[in-house]
Amino acid sequence: MAGSVLAPKPAPAAAPTPARRARRLARGLSDRRTRFGLLNATPVVVYLLILFVYPIFSTLLLSLKGEDGAFTLHWYADAFRGANLEILLTTLRISAETSLLSLVIGFLLASAVSRLKPLLAGLVMLVVVVPHFISALVRTYGWIILLGEHGVINNVLTDLHVPGAPFSLLYNELGVVIGTTSVMLPYTVLLLYAVMRGIDRRLLAAAAGMGAGRVTIFRRIYLPLVAPGLVNAGVLCFILCLGYYLTPALMGGPKQTMVASLIDEQVMKQNQWNGASALGIILLLLTFAGLLLLRLLKSAGDAYRKRGATS
Amino acid sequence: MIQLRSTLAGRIVLTVFATLILLFLALPIVVIVVTSFGKDAFGDFPPDAWTLGWYQQLFATGSKWPAALSLSALVAALTTLFSLVLGMTAATALVRSELPLRSAVYGLVLAPLVIPQVVIALGLFLLFEPASMLGSPIAIALGHTVLASPIAVMILMATLKGIDERLEDAAASMGASRFTVARRITFPLAMPGLVAAAIFSFITSFDEFFISQFLSSVDTVTLPVEVFNVLQYDVDPSVTAISAILIAVAVVALALVGVARRLSGTGKQDGLLPTEPAVGLTAGSETP
Repeated sequence: MAGSVLAPKPAPAAAPTPARRARRLARGLSDRRTRFGLLNATPVVVYLLILFVYPIFSTLLLSLKGEDGAFTLHWYADAFRGANLEILLTTLRISAETSLLSLVIGFLLASAVSRLKPLLAGLVMLVVVVPHFISALVRTYGWIILLGEHGVINNVLTDLHVPGAPFSLLYNELGVVIGTTSVMLPYTVLLLYAVMRGIDRRLLAAAAGMGAGRVTIFRRIYLPLVAPGLVNAGVLCFILCLGYYLTPALMGGPKQTMVASLIDEQVMKQNQWNGASALGIILLLLTFAGLLLLRLLKSAGDAYRKRGATS
Repeated sequence: MIQLRSTLAGRIVLTVFATLILLFLALPIVVIVVTSFGKDAFGDFPPDAWTLGWYQQLFATGSKWPAALSLSALVAALTTLFSLVLGMTAATALVRSELPLRSAVYGLVLAPLVIPQVVIALGLFLLFEPASMLGSPIAIALGHTVLASPIAVMILMATLKGIDERLEDAAASMGASRFTVARRITFPLAMPGLVAAAIFSFITSFDEFFISQFLSSVDTVTLPVEVFNVLQYDVDPSVTAISAILIAVAVVALALVGVARRLSGTGKQDGLLPTEPAVGLTAGSETP
């Protein structure tokens, strides 16, 4: 119990002087609860430092090292040139297309589910969650069977005499986006569903009672309430797509090569570790940029809401 | 309760859309399971004639699948062990103690879920290659644990939060040692969470592709890597059967988690079914 008094929470206190911090640390260390915590936190921290942080750090070092061992940036210059730049742009394009599609589809499904009765909603969410835990590789294979020239989808479309059938749905961008979206969709649905379930639907009814039309209610009430969830889901989906390998590698053509495939090829076939490292670090920086954007948007949203509440 | 009335047309449209989306999620899985029993692997759907032949072929002599299957099972078992140990200690530290730099530790633990897996795999490759540990099941399991341990930590943190700390305090005040408290009080109460953490660690490793791909050698190839190679390079219809087995493993695992959840009695212990990065990540700095 003394612990909660002695070791203060990392509150946004004014930066303590080094002496005070040292004293607090010493007092904290002598506390039994703190020592117990440190003891228990050690395995995971040591583990992740060795097998997660250090490897990424050595990737960074390798990406900055030339063939003679001197510092160089030319692996990064290479990454932004010619075919590699194209692959980088392809990655950004496919990630954007996929996250947009997942967001739209996820929004539709989540808003449908959030209106269902709890039992039915639970069943529907089961259909969302179970595929999420089935290997993405297997699900991609399923899509390959479905989308082939004589696959199920094309057979159905041909039987229905849809003009233009059979379509070519595989080994092009359409195939990649379909496959990747189905892998990413559970994330967006779960995130949006969590937000939508928390919305007080009486707010919508109140707006309607005061004469707002459906479009107005959606635009002025529902959308602002869901917006933080949409931003979260969209950015998260984009980040997860950036480094995604399986589906684009199996369902894409030569024009859908993504960065992860390029890294794989450079390491496995060309033994070009430095270049691969530079590409990996670029992916990492893009991921950090996405997370930072999320953080900034969140605090901007909070500030905006606070201002709205006080005025 | 006051509800915004929706129009009939709106409801029909939404229902149709929702059904299509659910099909979109379920169809790739259904098609594999059905095709794996079809006589003509690449023929019409649904198949005209049925067979168990593809499953028999998996275990025929000279098949590469049994080796891949047992390697994957071994790696997954090791991963489960590692990630349970890390998960239990880390969750205890994060939930049951005053931890300096708590949010930094928490951030570090969750980080592997958002960092691109290519980067993690590349880093691990650079770590294990000089040590000539490529292809060793231990190395692959150590790599998988980077991905599995955050999930275990999240599940076990939720479990520990759900256990009344006063029960532990009461036992301790009556003279039980810390070890006895853990063994007699915390451990039995945390059992459903431990089962869930173990199962999710296992399937995370069992289905993991990219780290295995970077850390495997020619003779040690895990199941997903073998499946990928078959899909990319040669067409072997028995891959449908192995995919169906992978689906079955995941479904059975989820069902087991459901059973553990039911047996725990509470039925409402949050976090037994982690929705993974999604929730943990966007919560950002969750409140202790």
